[in-house]
Amino acid sequence: MLPEAPQILIALEQSGLAAAIRQSTWAYPLANVSHIMALTLFAGAVATMDARLLGAFAAAPPADVVRPARRVAMLGLLLMAVSGSVLFAAEASHVAMNPVFQIKAALIALGILNALLIGRALGAVLDDAPAFQPLPARIRLAAALSLTIWISVAACGRLIAYF
Amino acid sequence: MLRKLTLSLLLMIGSGATVLAHHGWGSYDASKPITVTGSIEASKYENPHATITVKTTDKVWTVTLAPVSRMQGRGASPELVAVGKTVSAYGYSSNVEKDEMRAERITIDGKTIEMR
Repeated sequence: MLPEAPQILIALEQSGLAAAIRQSTWAYPLANVSHIMALTLFAGAVATMDARLLGAFAAAPPADVVRPARRVAMLGLLLMAVSGSVLFAAEASHVAMNPVFQIKAALIALGILNALLIGRALGAVLDDAPAFQPLPARIRLAAALSLTIWISVAACGRLIAYF
Repeated sequence: MLRKLTLSLLLMIGSGATVLAHHGWGSYDASKPITVTGSIEASKYENPHATITVKTTDKVWTVTLAPVSRMQGRGASPELVAVGKTVSAYGYSSNVEKDEMRAERITIDGKTIEMR
C-alpha cells in the first residue's frame, strides 16, 4: 500500500474484493489474459476504422466499414475496462501513483474524447460518403491522432510494470 | 491544434521514459547479488507476486517472490513460506524501495526453489 495515494484507492486496495483477487490463484492471471485478448479486439477494430477514415479500403463506402468496426471497438473497450478494473483493484494505490499509469489514464480520456469528436464530425457526412472519395481533412487528421493515441495507450499499459 | 496535441503527447511519453522503475527485474541491482537469511515474520501468498518479510540480524527485508501459480507449480506452498520458517533468499536488492529485494531463488527446509 502506498500511503500517499488517495484514500479512496487505498480503501479499494484494502477491500475484501481486492484481497480476493490477490489471493485467488487464477483471478489475476485470468484478468491479465483477458485484458490482452480484449486489446487485440479493440486495437484491430480501431485500426480498421481509422485506416478506412484515412483512405484505406477505398472501394468500400466508409459507413460499411466504420459502423461495424465501431461496435466491435466499443465492445473491446468495455472488456478492457472490466478486466482492467480487476487488475487495478488488486494494486490500486501503487498503480494510481505510477507515472506511466497516469499518462495512460490521461491518454485514454483523450482517445475517448477524440472518438466522440470523430463521431460527431462523421455524423453529418458518413451516410452519404461514397467509396473512393477522401473524407474531410480534419476527420483524417483525427483518425491519425486516434491511432497514435491508442498505440501509446497500449505501450503505456505494458510499461506500467517497469516504472 | 491536433498537431500541438500530438507533440505534447510525444513529450509526455518521452518524459515518462526517464522516470525510475518501481517493478520488474530492471529496478533491481543484478550486479550485486545478495543473500538474505532470517526468519519469516510475515507472508503474503498473493498475486501479482508473493512477498515475505524476513528478519535478519540487522534489519527487516521485504522479499518479493514469484506469482502465486508459479509458486504452487514449483512446490513453494503457503505452508513452506509460512511465518516462523527460516529462509535463505538469493537475489538482488531494489534500486528504488529501501530494504526490498527480489529473490532469484529461495531455500527453506533444505528445499531450493527458483523464482524466475
